[in-house]
Amino acid sequence: MATTLERVKKITAELLKIDIAMIREDSRFVEDLGAESIQSIELIAAFDEEFDIEMDEDEALAVKNVSDAARFIDRYVDG
Amino acid sequence: MTDGKYIALSEKNIAALEKNGCRAENWVEVRVAAGFRPDSFFNVAFTGKVEIGRQDGELVLADGSRRKYGIYNASLENVRIGDHCVISNITAGLRNVNIEPGVIIENVGEIICSGASTFGNGHAVEALNEGGGRELKICRDTSAQVAYLSILYRDKKQLIDKLNAIVDDFSVQVKNDRATIGRNSCIRNCLKLHNVHIGVNANLDGVQKLQNGTVDSSAEAPTFIGDAVIAENFIIQKGSMVGGAAILSGCLVGEAAQVGKQVSLENTVLFANCEAFHSELCSVFAGPYTVTHHRSTLLIAGYFSFFNAGSATNQSNHMYKLGPVHQGILERGCKTGSFSYLLWPSRVGAFSAILGKHHANFDTTNLPFSYLNEEDGKSLIIPGMNYFTTGTFRDGLKWPTRDKRKNRDMLDFIHFDILSPYTGQKMQRGQRILLDLYERSEKGQSFVSFKGIHIKRLLLKTCRRYYQLILDKYFGDVLIKRMLASKATVFSDLFASTKNEVVPHDENWIDVCGLLCRQSRMEALITAVSSGELQSFAEIRAALRKIHAAYAEDEWRWFLSNYAHLHGCELAMDSQENVRNLLAQWQKSSLKLLNMVFSDAEKEFEGNVKTGFGIDGNADADFTAVRGVFADNTFKIHLDSEIESVNTKFAQVSRLIDTIKFLSAGNKKD
Repeated sequence: MATTLERVKKITAELLKIDIAMIREDSRFVEDLGAESIQSIELIAAFDEEFDIEMDEDEALAVKNVSDAARFIDRYVDG
Repeated sequence: MTDGKYIALSEKNIAALEKNGCRAENWVEVRVAAGFRPDSFFNVAFTGKVEIGRQDGELVLADGSRRKYGIYNASLENVRIGDHCVISNITAGLRNVNIEPGVIIENVGEIICSGASTFGNGHAVEALNEGGGRELKICRDTSAQVAYLSILYRDKKQLIDKLNAIVDDFSVQVKNDRATIGRNSCIRNCLKLHNVHIGVNANLDGVQKLQNGTVDSSAEAPTFIGDAVIAENFIIQKGSMVGGAAILSGCLVGEAAQVGKQVSLENTVLFANCEAFHSELCSVFAGPYTVTHHRSTLLIAGYFSFFNAGSATNQSNHMYKLGPVHQGILERGCKTGSFSYLLWPSRVGAFSAILGKHHANFDTTNLPFSYLNEEDGKSLIIPGMNYFTTGTFRDGLKWPTRDKRKNRDMLDFIHFDILSPYTGQKMQRGQRILLDLYERSEKGQSFVSFKGIHIKRLLLKTCRRYYQLILDKYFGDVLIKRMLASKATVFSDLFASTKNEVVPHDENWIDVCGLLCRQSRMEALITAVSSGELQSFAEIRAALRKIHAAYAEDEWRWFLSNYAHLHGCELAMDSQENVRNLLAQWQKSSLKLLNMVFSDAEKEFEGNVKTGFGIDGNADADFTAVRGVFADNTFKIHLDSEIESVNTKFAQVSRLIDTIKFLSAGNKKD
């Protein structure tokens, strides 16, 4: 089964329409991957749906990079 | 003072005037105030009946220059001139004009009144719908609220007839074959003024041509009309500034509005504190704080308020079928991004941001605080997102501080609240819409559509949560405001004033061009106007003032009804624990939303924003020198203080909850 990090990368690639190979653990959503404000919202919604969680809206928006996102999601998944 | 008493010129004075190059068609028709001094008149031609006040002494202007009161190089025909005026170098002449005391008229072509004029009062402006059918008869006292009713309630024929009759009556009252130039006005370097009434303390400098209009003005709110302005069939209200080669045709410029920099306005009304520069506005109904600053922006056939137009904003009202008959509504607080385009008819919910080009007709009135963008030609909406953007937050702070109106008798009634029963109710409806769309959608589905616009399915739940966050904050705001203002020692005493009248939770609230109110209150006013109970704009204004003043109490009552509806229990009878939970939820939601605004603001200091800084190196240093650092940013500092304020208020109300007596069974203390 894919890890949280792999699933985060896959969703990010699909939503931002970029090659998954470009996404590294330390890739920053805004600066490196070009996510705009609207896409940040969509990413949070997509992660919510993928992991069947409801992330804290403000804390989720403050997450900057891919590995932090995976760690943040794990907090919810692990309960 | 002359006191309106004029006497015939003596033979000696006539001789002195003639020696000074003056001449008259008939000297008998020239009458003057007692103490007349012929040395204040040079090269003046008198025709018809001319009355002249005392012109002794001199005037010291603001720049230190001096003017001797009097009339020099001018042609006067049927003119009354008050005491202590300076009238000089009038190339074509003054005809059929009453000039009040203290007026300066210098280097002017002609000021003429031809026949009986209503001075723009009663002119019908084809606002909102270029195809007609919504004509607003403008007059000096037309307010944003009266315009709203006149333009948008066309199905209420009695109302429209009565409002038009009030304007017609006013027009008859002001109709005159003489134009008036109000006390202490200054008119300089202007070419042509035909059938124009000018209020007191007005300042006209460099005007090219004004025809059939009123420049209302007062000592506390003087009006300025500047360089190269061309205007016809207009009303310009107190405290406004029109300059910079603006072209106006069939327009009303509201209180403290600013118009200039080559803007063109046609069949357009703008109300308090609007700003229109560079752009083109055609059949626009611009409510308070509508702002367009950029060239290439066309606003057409739309109703706006608290609106900010991005450059090259454009709309189409013409489908090349039955003519330009379509219209659009952007509810209060909307913004358009650069090069945005909207196809009328469309209606956009309050406080929404519109980006991109939209070729669909949609109605998002019940999805306020939204982002509308365009992706691959498809119009998309993200409901709720625009609440926690920096722009909306800043707008809420700046509007009340930018009310430039100085006149005490303000015409437009304005509520500035971003969160109100009006937007609260829309968010509640939005929540139901999003839930319904979610329940009817399939998991594999990318988009759902609602009234012409698309929403990404995966955002339905998220955006519904955004609305809940905002509502939790808003409801808490209302309760806390009441608790902190009250000295009640028993919780139920907070509700003492609200026992007599209930505001139903589902009663519709409306935004009457800046005035937020229960629909029933406006309907009562409409009935009063239609039945003839209210017969003048002064009476309507008094009724509107009461509605404006009732807002806070109505909001409180609406909140209480909502609480009872949502919780199945009257707040007055609820337990200490439940009230404490509501306040805890308020604190949590308020902080979350502030953190979200914070994240949005922080983006202005990170990532690609430094591109272009440090043109030959040192981007970081250059950026810091120009933009500063986020920690020192005034908006960031304001957000910090807001966060602190939430925590302080929470501590205050928590202490109150600990000490106040609750009557309910769930009360832990009693």
